[in-house]
Amino acid sequence: MEIKELIQELSAFKGVSNASMIRDNVVKLDIDKNSSKEFFTKLRDDFGFEHCSLITAIDNQPEFELVYHFTSINKSVTVGSTDMSVMTEVHVFLERDTPTIESISDLWGGANWHEREAFDLMGIYFVGHPDLRRVLLPEGFAGHPLRKDYVYEIHEEEW
Amino acid sequence: MAEMWISMGPQHPMTHGLWTLKVKVDGETITDADPELGYLHRSVEKMGERRKYFMNTTLTDRLCYASSTTWTHCYVLTVEELMNVEIPERAKYVRTIMLELQRLASHLMWAGSYMPDLGHITGALYFWRDRELFLNLLEVPSGSRLLYNYIRIGGVKRDLPDGFVEKAERVMKLFEQRLDEYSDLFENSKIFRMRTEDVGKFTAAQAQNLGITGPNMRGCGTKFDLRRNDPYEIYEEIDWDIQTREAGPGYGDCFSRYMVRIDEMKESMRIIRDCFKKMPKGPTLASTIPVRAQGEAFRRTEDSRGEALMYIVGDGTDRPYRWKIKSPMFTTISAAPHYLKGYKVADIPAIMGSVDICIGETDK
Repeated sequence: MEIKELIQELSAFKGVSNASMIRDNVVKLDIDKNSSKEFFTKLRDDFGFEHCSLITAIDNQPEFELVYHFTSINKSVTVGSTDMSVMTEVHVFLERDTPTIESISDLWGGANWHEREAFDLMGIYFVGHPDLRRVLLPEGFAGHPLRKDYVYEIHEEEW
Repeated sequence: MAEMWISMGPQHPMTHGLWTLKVKVDGETITDADPELGYLHRSVEKMGERRKYFMNTTLTDRLCYASSTTWTHCYVLTVEELMNVEIPERAKYVRTIMLELQRLASHLMWAGSYMPDLGHITGALYFWRDRELFLNLLEVPSGSRLLYNYIRIGGVKRDLPDGFVEKAERVMKLFEQRLDEYSDLFENSKIFRMRTEDVGKFTAAQAQNLGITGPNMRGCGTKFDLRRNDPYEIYEEIDWDIQTREAGPGYGDCFSRYMVRIDEMKESMRIIRDCFKKMPKGPTLASTIPVRAQGEAFRRTEDSRGEALMYIVGDGTDRPYRWKIKSPMFTTISAAPHYLKGYKVADIPAIMGSVDICIGETDK
């Protein structure tokens, strides 16, 4: 499939908006939170994006934004006759009061720890995640330090 | 027999850095595993939000102590994409040479630490002796041996000095002779092959789904290398091939991952030689470099350990609003239960050593 066809087929999907090409081999689009799981399943099964590169959580004050990067490794989507591998960048916006979204760790095993990291540092809750624990910070740590409203605690040491 | 959990690490010869691998064992057989990270977490992403764009190269250098230039390069490439900086042609060549020298040093570091994992201490000394040669080369233009801070936004710190090409050529010629010796010493060694063959197997499809990239994925026969598949710097114009190996149809083991890295070292030297041949004269630093950035950008590069990706959001100030680092080892360690299950406890050092773990980048 050519990348031009990919962008047409993706933008026809329910909940997709602002689909555009930001580089020769990168498609960027926004997806509605409620139809995200269906969309991701389709992206993996029908378009052959077999690798989840990264999940980024951004605190946009007030809302949260999740950015997913997916890579097609076996080149089911092509850019002309080049060797370029195609990426899809998916943006999802979440309300600050309900930062929850369906987990995709059952689709991509590699997404598992990316979701745990987003939970750990940004406090995004992934519904259906098998093991949503902190991954970098210790158990029992209070708060999510990459949020912009995180207040640093100043520890006054007792001597 | 009753199953039990045993904890390997954070202080354990197998771990190569501070992390814990909890394994569930039934007798000697591994039935489950649970890796734990965070001992080296320095919150690089958060620190980066408080520092100016050009200051962050000191942080990226410290992401991985074995491969610092590749991480700085990934960051600088992303910032250049964000700021629309065009870098001079010669700087691209110099960067490519430095990246490949770093890849050689990193793979040698890995090979040197893999050998003691298998009980072969002499191997460590051989490979680290050769790593010194490449560290000396990296020291010539950058002035430091481990954390170079050489690649800057807009180019590189300074041009390669006179005599660098000859010096590099001498080192590479010596190293090529030694690699032939090593193939006799390791690849033809029955004990080495018994420890690594048919151990730590995973398929290419598993690797892609679990997020295992780089040499570990190419060790399963997948022909995917971002230097070719999402080219940056000058890799498009250089004559080189993607190296793959497989243990069987569509899967790899510790030995195929070892061989991929050895092949990649030879290929890196080919790239460096071709760069020397094609390198034009000219400046190595862009004349004007912006300070502020607006918008968002990401770039991915082929790190020594896999796919490195950085995503930066700028809000118009001179500091990043959000800076996200994707470490290839983070996901590779997360997949450890999948490729440890079914093997013996004594295979753990052989398997975890073969994926080339670097905790600095993993814990960020």
